[in-house]
Amino acid sequence: MPGSNGKLREISRRTALGALGAGIVGATVASWPRLTGMDIPGRGDNSLSIAILGTAADAAARQRVIDAFAKVHPEIKVKVQAIQAADWKDFFTKILTMVAAGTPPDVVYVATEGAQLFAEKLAHPLDEYLRRDAADMKEYFADVHPSLVEAFMYKGSLFQLPIDWNAANMYYNTSALQQAGLERPADGWTQVDFRNTLAAMRKARPQDFTPYYWTNRLFGGVVPWLYANDTSFLKESKSTGGEWLWDSFYAQDPSRGLRSGGYQWLEPNADDPRVYESFDYLRGLVKDGLGVRPEEGGGNSLVGLFASNRIGMTPAGGYWVEGLHEAGMKEDGFDVQFFPRWRTQRHQFGTAGYAIMKTAKDKDAAWEWLKFASSLEAMRLVFPTPNTTPARRSMVNEQLYAGRGPTHWKVFYDTLDKFPTTGPIPAPPQQAAVETALMKNVSLAVSGDERQLKQALDSMQRDLEIALRRQA
Amino acid sequence: MSTATTGMSTKRRNGAAAKIETTRKQRQRWLPWAFLAPTILGMGLFTLVPIVASLVLAFFRWDIISAPSFVGFDNFAEVVQDPTVRVSFLNTIMFVVVAVALQLGLALALAIMVQEKLPAWLRVFFRSAFFFPLILSAASVSIFMRYLFNEQFGVVNWLLSFVGIPAVPWLTTPAGSAAVVILVYVWQNFGFSFLLFIGGLASIPTETYEAASIDGATGWRKHLHVTLPLLSPTTLVASVMAIINALQVFDQPYVLTRGGPGDSTRTAVMVIFESAFQRLEFGQASAIGVILTLIIMAITAAQFRLSKRFVFYQ
Repeated sequence: MPGSNGKLREISRRTALGALGAGIVGATVASWPRLTGMDIPGRGDNSLSIAILGTAADAAARQRVIDAFAKVHPEIKVKVQAIQAADWKDFFTKILTMVAAGTPPDVVYVATEGAQLFAEKLAHPLDEYLRRDAADMKEYFADVHPSLVEAFMYKGSLFQLPIDWNAANMYYNTSALQQAGLERPADGWTQVDFRNTLAAMRKARPQDFTPYYWTNRLFGGVVPWLYANDTSFLKESKSTGGEWLWDSFYAQDPSRGLRSGGYQWLEPNADDPRVYESFDYLRGLVKDGLGVRPEEGGGNSLVGLFASNRIGMTPAGGYWVEGLHEAGMKEDGFDVQFFPRWRTQRHQFGTAGYAIMKTAKDKDAAWEWLKFASSLEAMRLVFPTPNTTPARRSMVNEQLYAGRGPTHWKVFYDTLDKFPTTGPIPAPPQQAAVETALMKNVSLAVSGDERQLKQALDSMQRDLEIALRRQA
Repeated sequence: MSTATTGMSTKRRNGAAAKIETTRKQRQRWLPWAFLAPTILGMGLFTLVPIVASLVLAFFRWDIISAPSFVGFDNFAEVVQDPTVRVSFLNTIMFVVVAVALQLGLALALAIMVQEKLPAWLRVFFRSAFFFPLILSAASVSIFMRYLFNEQFGVVNWLLSFVGIPAVPWLTTPAGSAAVVILVYVWQNFGFSFLLFIGGLASIPTETYEAASIDGATGWRKHLHVTLPLLSPTTLVASVMAIINALQVFDQPYVLTRGGPGDSTRTAVMVIFESAFQRLEFGQASAIGVILTLIIMAITAAQFRLSKRFVFYQ
């Protein structure tokens, strides 16, 4: 033992303090890159820094694309920084704090939820690059539905190229449907058919089963029902401009006449009678035990419950397929259908793509990354499995869904092709405040009597007025 | 010569001794500051500067991206008129009243039971068991609790079904969600008050209880007339800390209910977070923070003032 042979006693206090000091200095030097944040990808060198929502594993998964990009552009060094966040709102908050700290990334992967916030304040328009490289980009736009592109138009300029997207389609458990003695719903099923289906499911399985499970959030919550009923909680309008893009890339598209300079949500619309009607319909489902009172949270938490055959139907996008497959669901255990028709069969979708920051060190390099990331080669590397719906129509094919299902995977892209007015998540630059105003009143609106519903919608209207008055 | 030499060396020795003494005194003077320096520096950088910054920011409009602009008391005026902010403060006060009462009551009752009724080895077990929730991350606990209290598939409703109680909509009704938030918060935090009370109980001399017994005090009377008065200094500390913590509750309601349904579980700190980090209104968030700080200071001052009436020191 060192203590017993007296060796420790030979160490003087001065030596001990010196060793401690040396240790502190050594540790400081060793951790200097972390202390100063120099180890953050792209900081302190000329790399193109790209921020994505996800884990370190997601960043690593992008490595194959980075390697492929390096072959085409060896002069551009790329570093991907994955930012883990509960949802897009938290992710945007993190990006904004990076901006405030003076260390913004050059390129950010932004979903519809933040598209207008970035377009208004942070992102650089792609117009000049698209005009310049129009010949190269024709193939991309020919493969991507204009609805997705329009979602990234803001005041006549395009800010992002859609890479992936998801519409709120209706997933159903095939065995639950069979137990209820029903066939696959028709493409044009209505909200009445939907309710009857839930009632039949409930009758067949009265216990330990929920016919309709939905969550309280901006995507896949109440909004698809509002869209189907030809309304929304915000008044939707479109800005002028954007002809340069539509005429260049979508001149022959049958839906060319529908396209604009981008969506605008400038006024609240919670006092619209159709909004009341839609909420009342959902309130009826909850009251009759056909649907749950919606809790807040992402759809991913439902994967396990759906895969264990405890949920009859739920709205979700193509991103669910891989999750259900990993949860052990057989490819014929579930299927997907369009959202039910009401006054219309307009669906809700969300899309995502890279945005170049105004502060980007080298915008030309950033554009090269965007262009490459939207190529067929890069997108095939990024989406080997159906954990989302690729923006390119040609990639949503038999091969992607082989061994995973669902049988009617064509529903995903058909949602855009068959319903070209299908619209994006209502996300003005004040999206965070708008989302809070919506979500905080939904549960109350569908959980009580008609008086409570009216009060909740009045409260939502007031909250939205305040939210839209706020500076973005 | 030798006398002179001796005299010289004595003088030199005295001089050297005085010098050493001076150096020692000097060292003693700066040594405490050297030890305190990291804390003072840390406090200054990470506590005082943000406090002053947020106080200043309360008079500006700032969204991180654009330059701040001075707006005087506009932020305070807007905050006071905002119904969500008003409701969140009312919720917070209600939460503090119920949660702190439950937290202290539960902690005191369990501390007395553990201290009196259990053998020493079991005391150690329960001290650890009750303190354990406190070291868990509130966010993780809340995520876990969300699953437990799920109306359709949660374990809690499953257990209740065995005694014939129909599924309770815990997290989707105002009353249910408020109850769950309070329950989870109290479960996670009572361990700290419990330990304080255990310490307080241990410091009460056994002679006092013996004297009370001789005077005829038994059972709960003993606790009412001996334990509670002598535990009053601990109760003061526990209540001050519990109230300050409860006024700043955020994690549990944010993860469990996101403030809903409606505004039913929205708290003051949650509104600060939403204003600052979701709506990018840092000025308004600071204004709410300043108001909350003033409320906390006022309540704490009132507690200390009132304590003169009910706190007894041995």
